[in-house]
Amino acid sequence: MDDHAALDELNRLLDADDAETVNTSMRLSVSLRDAAALAVEHFSAASSATTMAAAALRQSLETLAMETALQLHYREHPDAQPSLAEIAHALAVQDGSPLAERPDLLAAAASAVVERHPDADADDVLLWAEAQLAVSA
Amino acid sequence: MRTIVLDNEAVQALSDSTHTKHRTVVAHLAGAVARRRRGTVVDTVVPTTVRVEAGWDRSTPSAAAINRFRLRDHVLDATAANVAASIQSRCGLGPAGAHIGATVQSVSSGDVVVLTTDPSDIAVVCTPSTPQIVRI
Repeated sequence: MDDHAALDELNRLLDADDAETVNTSMRLSVSLRDAAALAVEHFSAASSATTMAAAALRQSLETLAMETALQLHYREHPDAQPSLAEIAHALAVQDGSPLAERPDLLAAAASAVVERHPDADADDVLLWAEAQLAVSA
Repeated sequence: MRTIVLDNEAVQALSDSTHTKHRTVVAHLAGAVARRRRGTVVDTVVPTTVRVEAGWDRSTPSAAAINRFRLRDHVLDATAANVAASIQSRCGLGPAGAHIGATVQSVSSGDVVVLTTDPSDIAVVCTPSTPQIVRI
């Protein structure tokens, strides 16, 4: 199964209208299970520990699927891959941040932050740029 | 939580890698994924009437690439149709625009972002909701 086929199957499973449930043999540490139970009972984190675990697993798998789709797309269309600064700018626009009007500052921030933190993401760039703005104000 | 809604032009741009705005829309999706990695719930949505307008049939092989981006359908069910019909009567801007307005109004929590080439029309159909309208 190649990457595209695996991703399509992952998406099919995630989108399946499937009310059937199964008891799994997934092993959790006792402390993690107890932490989830406590979070449900005292902090109303979810309706049950099972619901909480399933929601977290779904969020994680859906994010993986979306990220994989982008990576496969970039592999086929390298020109379509936005830079870190462009992604940070997109988030600034979505957030309604004043940084949306400063793509120059975001580009500089992206270059600077990646130099020190190669795994930085777009929010790191936004934070860096905001700090630069605050210092210069 | 954030919900990102795409209009027809945003869908067209995403589905065509040669489109001048393709990279811009991809950047918005990449931003959504970055936020999800940080634990924020970000939902990406396309109203089904927008899919009709864009000619996006999920069942065709040519749609395989855009299907993989996991844009969830907002279905024009009976309730949404009533809201959209009311918007259409008020604004007269077409079924897809009315469905975008109904989609935005259906989001009960968190903020809403609409990616569009026509911010003024989107503002009209979304009234009284006030999503973040992003011109692509």
